[in-house]
Amino acid sequence: MIGKGIEGIDINMPKDAYDTGKDTPTFRAYLTIIVRDSEGKVVKVHRQKSHSPTANFIGLMLPLTYFNVTGNSYTLKNTGGTTYNYKPAINPTAQCISYPYSFSNYPSYIVMIQVGSGQQSNPYTAYSLAAPIANGSGTGQLIYGQPSVPSNVTVSGIEAYFTISQTFNNNSGGTVTITEVGIITYLQFSESYNASYFNFGQVLVWYDVLSSSISVANGGSVTIYYTFTINP
Amino acid sequence: MVTPDLVSEEDIVKLIIPDNLPDEEPTFKAYIEAKVYDKEGHLIQYHRQPMRSLTQYFLALMAIPIIGTYQGASINQAPVILTNVLGLPSSLSGNYSANILWDWAIQLGSGTQAFSPTLTGLAAPILNGTGAGELSYGSLSVSYVGSTIYISIQVTNTTSSAISVTEIGLIGTIYIQYNNSSINKYSFLFSYDTFSTAVSVPALGMAVFQITLSFTG
Repeated sequence: MIGKGIEGIDINMPKDAYDTGKDTPTFRAYLTIIVRDSEGKVVKVHRQKSHSPTANFIGLMLPLTYFNVTGNSYTLKNTGGTTYNYKPAINPTAQCISYPYSFSNYPSYIVMIQVGSGQQSNPYTAYSLAAPIANGSGTGQLIYGQPSVPSNVTVSGIEAYFTISQTFNNNSGGTVTITEVGIITYLQFSESYNASYFNFGQVLVWYDVLSSSISVANGGSVTIYYTFTINP
Repeated sequence: MVTPDLVSEEDIVKLIIPDNLPDEEPTFKAYIEAKVYDKEGHLIQYHRQPMRSLTQYFLALMAIPIIGTYQGASINQAPVILTNVLGLPSSLSGNYSANILWDWAIQLGSGTQAFSPTLTGLAAPILNGTGAGELSYGSLSVSYVGSTIYISIQVTNTTSSAISVTEIGLIGTIYIQYNNSSINKYSFLFSYDTFSTAVSVPALGMAVFQITLSFTG
């Protein structure tokens, strides 16, 4: 029996929790944006802290125990607004994130770092960019390069990080302005019992509104780096 | 042609891990809490401290929702970061299809050790049991509110002596299911922290340990 409530105890953060000199965040994410002109010269470097995993990311991180104990599923929402009740399980008929296989493949992969010209106030609930900039050379468009993914986590002392990046070229004939950035992953959920699967499509897992807009001149390019680091 | 830049490639490497940005709210905050009860159920100790020490394996787990499990739409191999850091296979063979999922657990210990992002275990894990120096681990509880995930476990000391807890780790297990009912398991240490002051679970008492992972959003 628990006889005494927690209200009788001083639950303020104990002094020893503030370990002066080491009271640093466990994890940080950074955005670095490098803008080049038509001659390849760097004309702007923009850096800011990234704040915004989306609700989709949180749901995908949840461990099996959450689903087993609560019996709940987690509602994911793709960029088109379609929902999916995600509920992984140790069960051949449970649909979980697909994995490379010899017999059948339903790739789940990073599609792109997507850029946009809008913004939205609640990144957590965002499931798409407010105003995605299309891939192309038309007015207001940028040519999307391929996302670059590292082959390892870099460890330096107690710090470790990985960075993904992508370059965009502006052949639109005019300046293109970026105000929002997000990471889009393509997800498919498959069973191990048979080859059945659910093709969920593109999912926004990370989203940031830039602290100041980025202008990319015609003929220029911009490279966006997302860095995820622990014990910074 | 790319002319000499204001920023060299070497500088870019430094720029992507900036150390001079304004001291804004961190992206991620994590805490460890312990509530200790005596044998009569009275709360006798409450301890809370920031978690400081995620490992590279947690970072690699985070990479799965971000970069996926395939190298691309038509490349049927796992991203190299997953094979290098987590030791997952680049692909599996068999019939039907394959998928991936993971679970977490809390492990307590009675030792201490220096932290490294490549650490793989606690210094002196406290075993699950009723023998001397052992604690009976209850069921893990996981919940979330918004972008904060809570993981907690209740342990009971059924021995006749107090047990001192000095370290705590978040243990992760990744499962790959394939070929109908085959399962491969991979275990990791996702975080490691020592308590700033030891948490003593009295004889016949119990304690609840909670890890809070808060993505502030």
